[in-house]
Amino acid sequence: MEAVEYFEVECPEKAGGDYYRRIADVVLLDHNLIRVIWKLHIFIDPRIPLFIATGVTRKLPGIVTLRDFSDVNRKERKVTISIGDEAYLAPLLQILWERFGKERVEQPDRFTIMLNIDEGESKDLEDLPVYDPSFSIYKDLIYALQVIQPEGFKVRRQYYGDGRFYLVASEDTLPENIEELVREKFLLMGESL
Amino acid sequence: MILVPVTYKGGIYRHDEIIDLIEDLGGYIIQKHMIAQEVVLQALVPRDDIDLIRRVGKPLTGELTSSPLVGTEIAVVTPSLEIHHLPHSSCDVAEYIRRFGAKTNMVGLARGFGKRIAQLNDEERDVINEHDLAVYLLGDFETCIEHKFPVLRRGIEVPIVLCGGPSTEVLKSIIDPPVDGYVGGVGRFMHRTKESEELSRMDDVVDEVTRVLDRRREEMAKDPLSISPARLMDILSEKVDEIHEVLSPTPITVQMEGLRVKLPYDSFANRIRKTEIDEGVTIGDLADVLPSRMRDYILVRIKPFSETNLMV
Repeated sequence: MEAVEYFEVECPEKAGGDYYRRIADVVLLDHNLIRVIWKLHIFIDPRIPLFIATGVTRKLPGIVTLRDFSDVNRKERKVTISIGDEAYLAPLLQILWERFGKERVEQPDRFTIMLNIDEGESKDLEDLPVYDPSFSIYKDLIYALQVIQPEGFKVRRQYYGDGRFYLVASEDTLPENIEELVREKFLLMGESL
Repeated sequence: MILVPVTYKGGIYRHDEIIDLIEDLGGYIIQKHMIAQEVVLQALVPRDDIDLIRRVGKPLTGELTSSPLVGTEIAVVTPSLEIHHLPHSSCDVAEYIRRFGAKTNMVGLARGFGKRIAQLNDEERDVINEHDLAVYLLGDFETCIEHKFPVLRRGIEVPIVLCGGPSTEVLKSIIDPPVDGYVGGVGRFMHRTKESEELSRMDDVVDEVTRVLDRRREEMAKDPLSISPARLMDILSEKVDEIHEVLSPTPITVQMEGLRVKLPYDSFANRIRKTEIDEGVTIGDLADVLPSRMRDYILVRIKPFSETNLMV
């Protein structure tokens, strides 16, 4: 985990903590999340039992617009979009169908979309936001943390936003001062929630 | 004649000669795998004839290795079948034990996870009790193991080998009453076991399982079974033709004290009971034919000599 600036596992049982350090390492590597995480602090106390994972992400890539992966050519009412990166094709089609209706969106081949729309509609087409990478990264992050946590901790609370995330889990009701505990863990990393 | 468990690995060409030889010498083929051009036989062979089989197998590029666990069925019990335990570590352990000849079944508990909430239901308990031994794969924290293990072992009568993250000494100190075997350092992990240190842990599991089963065999030798399970398997596959239509890899699974026959209980139990072994002696005289909790299979439990006063 060289890419992560701060990575600690806090656990009253030393052996268990060491195992979980390795587990977290492997899981984050398997899910391609090492590059996303900047700081990570995991706290496990099997006696309560309680699992807290807090962390800060690196600066995530911004929202992908239509301009970033395709060219737009206008010829009166006929607008042709040539796709450069197919990865965003599916979300783009969804957006176009919703906005213009399926009858006005044609796709003659994999890399071309033809629209039958008037000038007003096609004005700011290049700036159309297509995909927000942070959304799926947070989902992946929370999923990975659920894999890391000890199994059977079914009572969970999770949060993400503004580059910070946390997941707390237990098999009993969460303690009332849970937010305080989470804030403490953020302070250990030199961050605040 | 003392039979020892071995694995024969060799080419498919003329392998039937090896099978004939083992059978002629009075041994039994427990399982036969055909993998592409290779054949793997798990067999019980007479100890004095091992060299002969080696000699006959040599020109056929056959290799004979000792497999201490041939003829045993082992349950690998994990708290659940979720990504937290699968495929590592549960499958790694189950697969590794299988290499030494055992037939392993993975028993994923419905509600075995957690510390306070862990449970074992009656079906799981009965299924585990149908095996020769249960390997419990628990987690990394001694607090959890100490708390939940008494629940998971309730009603289990077969020997237990407990694996967990803490060291063997710690495991021994937290389990009361003691179980038959302990292996530390095999807890929850999420990567494949391929480093030599990890593989030696797997060897520890096999050694511990072998040690516990050897002790069980010694105990059984004091009051031997009325018929050897391998021989009973041979008789069944000869006299009950339908068994050859079963598609499972081991239609008859050999255990230390009996057999699991993968035929429906309702339609075959009586026929098996009445199957004659020797003049006037039927399987029903020497063994209990019981319904298994695993699907609708049949479990044949061979009675010891002291109960039947018969030895076939």
